[in-house]
Amino acid sequence: MSFLERVDQAIRRSPAWRSLFRNPYPNDERSRAYAVMNNVFLHLHPVRVRQHAVKFAYTFCLGGLSFFLFLVLTVTGVYLMFFYIPSTTSAYSDILSIQANVAFGLITRNIHRWGAHLMVFFVFLHMMRVFYHGAYKPPREFNWVVGVFLLLFTIALSFTGYLLPWDQISYWAITIGLNMASYTPVINTPIQSLIFGGIEVGQNTLLRFYVLHIMVLPLITAIFLAVHFWRIRKDGGISGPL
Amino acid sequence: MTDQKTEKESRVVLPVDPTRRTEIDKQRVPMSARPYRLLAMVKQDAVVRVQKEPDDTVMTWPHLLSIEFLAATVMSIFLLLMGLFINAPLEELANGNLTPPVAKAPWYLLGLQELLAYFHPVISGVLVPFLYILGGAFVLPFIDRANPEAKKPSERKTTVLLFSLFCILGLMVTFVGVFFRGPGYSIVTPLLPFFDNFTSGLHFAL
Repeated sequence: MSFLERVDQAIRRSPAWRSLFRNPYPNDERSRAYAVMNNVFLHLHPVRVRQHAVKFAYTFCLGGLSFFLFLVLTVTGVYLMFFYIPSTTSAYSDILSIQANVAFGLITRNIHRWGAHLMVFFVFLHMMRVFYHGAYKPPREFNWVVGVFLLLFTIALSFTGYLLPWDQISYWAITIGLNMASYTPVINTPIQSLIFGGIEVGQNTLLRFYVLHIMVLPLITAIFLAVHFWRIRKDGGISGPL
Repeated sequence: MTDQKTEKESRVVLPVDPTRRTEIDKQRVPMSARPYRLLAMVKQDAVVRVQKEPDDTVMTWPHLLSIEFLAATVMSIFLLLMGLFINAPLEELANGNLTPPVAKAPWYLLGLQELLAYFHPVISGVLVPFLYILGGAFVLPFIDRANPEAKKPSERKTTVLLFSLFCILGLMVTFVGVFFRGPGYSIVTPLLPFFDNFTSGLHFAL
């Protein structure tokens, strides 16, 4: 036995390692089942899945990648939050400073921006995939409805994040959104004052969009995601085969 | 002999009035005689049916997890490359007094903005999105109840046709809004400078 092998053995037999990993590396069916079942992250999955469900050409991983992008956006977003103050006087200079002075600030903002666009796009594609596979049919009707909510939340997240750089693009894009909302019959003024905080885009809008973007919408989205995943399992796994 | 006696005694403890015993009470067994307990209710259709279709399933580890890992890795690399080579747009500081040549909504709302050029704002800004979201999306599984077993697109042509039509319409207005609208939200040809009457270039920001 070489030195490295002995070190490896010693690590794997140590109490710390064994307290961390309950099972050895899964090689047979039983340990593979335990690996999925006993892991808090993996146990979203059933232990076995149907053959057609693991074919890439059936799902194109669209739903999974949307969730992955959500995670990426959470991580990059939290990093950006350390350097950003939602005030009309400092927001724009904070973005400039993130790009110029913060370590990995530029790439983090870039990934956050492109990831956000990709997430909206992937959620759209995921919805179309689900439709063409007839996966909204019983017993999955309600999960489709949850999915539509998630699409709306994704768009809302992207839209609220759009304003935060406080540059000309974001200011005028949100102004268009505000003008559109003003044409809603009856509830136009309440919507404007509730969501936009006034009749024109300003400090109130920025603060509201910031709070919605970093706290309210991600939390609601996370709850709906949990329900969405739970329902997949409860409705008998992924739909199909066609 | 003694063993039999104790076993018999442990089985007789049923605190139910014999005159009122129902069918369920007759099936009740005291805890001491029952070396098992209820851990989960398994509805037959609520789980992957391993016993009925033994060859239809594969282990999640490694078959599904490897694909997920690969997809996440490819996506991470793609995002890293995007982040390295293409900078997110950032224009000048917001100025409410300085209207830009063309103000556009984010691309996923540009279809609606495009409709503003054709219809009254109540129709394009309120009615259409409302109908799309409520009628087209939320209510869809409750309208389309014709044949729950029909999953193939070829078996449900009307639904697929209607949905595709709505998607194509949405994509078309978005496409026009993104690429063919220039200063003052007028029609332009993207990247074609040889038409004198049209402004060239791409007038959108992601």
